Amino acid sequence: MTRASVVGADMTTFGVHESTLSELFAEAALGAYDDAGVGPDEIDALYFGNAMGGQTENDTHLAPAVASQVGLAGVPCQRYEDACATSANAFKNAVEAVEAGIHDTVLVGGVERCTPETGLGTGEMTRIFASASDRHYEQPTGLTFPGVFALLTKRHMHEHGTTEEQLAHVAVKNHANGTRNPNAHFGKETTVEEVLDSPIVADPFHLMDCCPFSDGASAVIVTSDDRADSFDDPVDVSGVGHATDVVPLSAKPVPHATQAARDAAAQAYEQAGTSADEMAFAEVHDCFTGAEVMASEAIGFFEDGEGGPAAAEGRSSMDGDRPINPSGGLKAKGHPIGATGTAQIVELAEQLRGDTGERQIDGAEKAVAHNLGGDAATTVVSVMEVRG
Amino acid sequence: MSLTHDDWTTALENGDLLGVRCSDCGATYGTPFAVCNDCGGRDLETTELPEEGEIYTETTVQVPPTGFEGPYQVGTVQLDGARVTARLEGDVEIGDRVVFDGAIDESGDIAPVFRAE
Repeated sequence: MTRASVVGADMTTFGVHESTLSELFAEAALGAYDDAGVGPDEIDALYFGNAMGGQTENDTHLAPAVASQVGLAGVPCQRYEDACATSANAFKNAVEAVEAGIHDTVLVGGVERCTPETGLGTGEMTRIFASASDRHYEQPTGLTFPGVFALLTKRHMHEHGTTEEQLAHVAVKNHANGTRNPNAHFGKETTVEEVLDSPIVADPFHLMDCCPFSDGASAVIVTSDDRADSFDDPVDVSGVGHATDVVPLSAKPVPHATQAARDAAAQAYEQAGTSADEMAFAEVHDCFTGAEVMASEAIGFFEDGEGGPAAAEGRSSMDGDRPINPSGGLKAKGHPIGATGTAQIVELAEQLRGDTGERQIDGAEKAVAHNLGGDAATTVVSVMEVRG
Repeated sequence: MSLTHDDWTTALENGDLLGVRCSDCGATYGTPFAVCNDCGGRDLETTELPEEGEIYTETTVQVPPTGFEGPYQVGTVQLDGARVTARLEGDVEIGDRVVFDGAIDESGDIAPVFRAE
């Protein structure tokens, strides 16, 4: 069943940007306006995501600021913060609002700057990212975010035999996909050897297993099912699942199962009356290569323990049977925290319209996006499909 | 109110590692909660966690945040039914036996330390 429709979508390049958060968001938002053929007078609300502007740029109460930049002063504006799942949660709430008839057409998106353009170096950004781990029972150990996902991945390797080479294949695949995405932070291919020879950040992760620090913004226009046909190119949202797992990590019964993703995916597929087998591709939250392996199992693309071998065998490549991250994913496209969730929705919308050029998944009718936050304790899974 | 963060910290400073045990379902946790996440019970008794356990998972952080000097090893330790996240000493691997060995406060906040048995 159609819950809402995406009728406009755009994103900035992900990489290094000198512009302010509001200017950067405006670039994506105006692109989404133009794609939908709307102006601000047709937008009834803003659902906005930014995770860390207060910490990185001393910039909070951003929803009115970015709204004013794009002509939306006056409409209700709300800002979401759920670590890396920030703008997927904004999207979920926007879909619910138009479905419930609270608003007709809304702007949804996110922005973040994480590069040294903020004036912050690697140590300081690593500290700020670590603020999404438990303040009292994890941060004092010196645990970092590569460390959090290293803990999950090493247990996955222990349980299932997943190897560093299999993880490297995820990076190789996503870098190859990124070369076909003009918005991607990284535009060059890599090899398993290059990944395994790169410096270790937190074992088993080498530098090339990790997504970059990126700046960027993304935005979509969401409208109700009733109004969708008045736009040129609507793409339907048929399911949005959202689940939360216990924190800290030590309290999770099986941390590498990423249970919130399993629960959110089950909700999304049920709402849409579909299953993983009907998805033409997935965009998943590959902040680290191990995160993609775990996500690929949690959303039902592969059996538990098969995510690593599947990546190595090319099953998740563009020409494989279960393509994952045709955009290049966080690994190659980049990861401006608050912009990542809606950037996945942009990729789904453009793929399902058949507009992605040489990275197009031919004949894609349905696709799924998986966006997690923190130690995967927040996960939002969205199913979109060609409007019937 | 059952075990607070302040209680947990004070105990750790004194060389005691505390957790909570649900009186209703018996679930144990290595950190305080107001409500049991297994059964919803509110009667969470403070319990002394075992001082010997097994590495559940671990990593060595090579790129530390500001305020820390790397590299160092961090992991979660299985202590009967509960786990705790701790600093690790002795280049341990998953499945290795470790013992509680006090605490560090490198960042100004305290964290437990386990070392190879």
